[in-house]
Amino acid sequence: MFSTFLRHQWTAFWRSRNKGATIAAQVIMGIFALYLLGVCLLVGFVMEDLIYKFMPDKDVFMVFNGMILYYFAVDFIARLQIQELPTLSIVPYLHLNIPKRKLVSFLQFRSLLSVLNIFPLIIFFPFCFRNVWPEYGGFACTTYLVVIFSLVIFNNYAALYFKRVSAENIKIVIPAILVVAALAGLEYLQLFSIASFSDMLFSYIAVYPPVGLIFPVLAVVIFLLNDRYLKNNLYVEDLTAGEEKKSSTDYPFLDRFGAAGTLAALEIKLILRNRRPKATVTKALLLLFYGFLFYNRKVLENNDFAKMLFAAVFMTGNTILIYGQFMFGWQAAEFDGMLANKVNIRDFFRAKFILLTISASLLTVLTTFYSFLSWKILAVHFAAYLYNIGVSNILVLYFATRNYKYIDISKGAKFSWEGVSASTMLLSLPVLLSPYIIYFPLSIINPYIGLIGIAIPGIAGLFSRRYWINFLVREFEKRKHKIAAGFRERS
Amino acid sequence: MIIEINKLTKTYAGRKVTDIEKLTINTGETVGVIGNNGAGKTTLFRMLLDLIRPDSGEIVSKGVNVAENDHWKNYTASYLDEGYLIDYLTPEEYFIFIGGLQKMSVRQVMDYLQSYEEFFNGEILDRGKYIRDFSKGNQNKIGITAALMQQPELLVLDEPFANLDPTTQIRLKAHLKSLKSGNLTTMISSHDLNHVTDVCDRIILFEKGRVIKDIYTNENTLEELEAYFSQ
Repeated sequence: MFSTFLRHQWTAFWRSRNKGATIAAQVIMGIFALYLLGVCLLVGFVMEDLIYKFMPDKDVFMVFNGMILYYFAVDFIARLQIQELPTLSIVPYLHLNIPKRKLVSFLQFRSLLSVLNIFPLIIFFPFCFRNVWPEYGGFACTTYLVVIFSLVIFNNYAALYFKRVSAENIKIVIPAILVVAALAGLEYLQLFSIASFSDMLFSYIAVYPPVGLIFPVLAVVIFLLNDRYLKNNLYVEDLTAGEEKKSSTDYPFLDRFGAAGTLAALEIKLILRNRRPKATVTKALLLLFYGFLFYNRKVLENNDFAKMLFAAVFMTGNTILIYGQFMFGWQAAEFDGMLANKVNIRDFFRAKFILLTISASLLTVLTTFYSFLSWKILAVHFAAYLYNIGVSNILVLYFATRNYKYIDISKGAKFSWEGVSASTMLLSLPVLLSPYIIYFPLSIINPYIGLIGIAIPGIAGLFSRRYWINFLVREFEKRKHKIAAGFRERS
Repeated sequence: MIIEINKLTKTYAGRKVTDIEKLTINTGETVGVIGNNGAGKTTLFRMLLDLIRPDSGEIVSKGVNVAENDHWKNYTASYLDEGYLIDYLTPEEYFIFIGGLQKMSVRQVMDYLQSYEEFFNGEILDRGKYIRDFSKGNQNKIGITAALMQQPELLVLDEPFANLDPTTQIRLKAHLKSLKSGNLTTMISSHDLNHVTDVCDRIILFEKGRVIKDIYTNENTLEELEAYFSQ
């Protein structure tokens, strides 16, 4: 039976309508995965030397032990982003004479076939054999292997379980994000460290291996939890429409913008009520942590704003970039109606500006939490913010008038190349690079003048918005039939 | 005369789907557009609503070429397919949005919908569902009602009877007839010959983009059309 299911999925893949794009995406992903596997294999075999090289003054086992839980913590977050729910189109099988048990087992089994489950094994196993065995003996080594394997299984099913539950009830995401943020904060402030906890735990396991048996138990528990959840929810109605009553909503604060406000409110509903745009915007919130990669004491002390600019433009404007790059594809499904109804195109563009400006403002306010590192960050963010709401959004909307690709907003976006075209890919380049063209020459005089230099075109763009709206309307009118025709072509 | 079509052509992949030398629609007429699949009915409607550009020729609505400016939107309402519906809205939100475009207040929209209670058969309002979760027939009802609500002078409906249950078909037919007045011009495409001959005063039959027959309905029309389609 399992082989039949797999064969059906295989056929479905090869016969899917936009086969070319899907296969291209899969091939690229495949090459990428192979490359990563190779890197992992290498890392696994030279782990000891790597640790010596990078941390010569530390104990090899301490570093290795510290790494394990750390890896799985990051792995868990990555899985939430990447790992897909193996729903397969299970609906056509539900009414057939196939025991439900089998369908559930297949879903469970299918989710294990993920490259994410192989990485940790080839990273950690070689070291266990080569170092743990000689040092602590065969029993300890076996325990290490069992624990790591159990952690893989645990993460695999825990991520899926979390995703399934959160798909049903979005509210549990908020405490989860808070917990992750709290842990990251504690780690950053060096109050609590996953690494030292992990080191403590595994040093203990190395000496008293039976303690490690708790991990297989945990893995089995989460597996059973997932199993029960699937068995109870394997009904057509659970797999399709939700049951909760949908109510009409209003955003009164947008009313003051008139017709454009109505259109902006419409788009907010689009984002909140459809899976793909919602995921895209949620991603924007996660990317707010991007700054931690770029902002460090040295950069701040040297006023080395060039190194921060990329992160600043990206964080304060990531909805403009990431949501904006697929415009107006989000509305592809109702685009004919938009054109044939009495929607004023100027209002249509004004609504986009309202939406992008509001989102960039919110993000900028959120990024003020970086100011606990230094007030200079506020200055950089503010310059980047002005640039984004004055220049980036015009660029993004101009490219939007050249985007003809339909996207299905009800589906998740994981590795979906739907709606991606050359123009959407090229879009982020000018937005992210042009601030540097302004900044570099001016920063020779003074880095702060460089920042002012970035803010000025932003302010100019804001004040000349009327002109730019007219310009965009003209561009749109030239190509609206082509856009509408593109959106009518579903995959 | 409200609509005037001159030398209109449209070609897809080397196949002419519209080829109209001259066609005029008079104010107040209810016109049925019929023809087999591929006759070019939807393409014609789309060009009429400036959704696609003709290869040549023009469609003039109240003296203005529809491709040149948006003036026609002030008095034209249409429903072609689900591509009109904003499927993540509740029906109420959708009606309010469409009504708002014609400067109708929320109150006016809700009052207006009251008179459609019977047509809705209790299946549309207050259901707590987004439009995407309705059946195709009910989605159709939403789209048609949204078009009618705008109280247009020109009404364009593409296959309004498709997917509707028998009761609703009959009610829609009665309603369309009751709307007939000197001001409202209606264009309806349909595959149901009974319905169009019943509702429309004029039938235009298309074949491969050309007008084959253009007749004012009388008691023999249905037979004539059936004869054409069964050959």
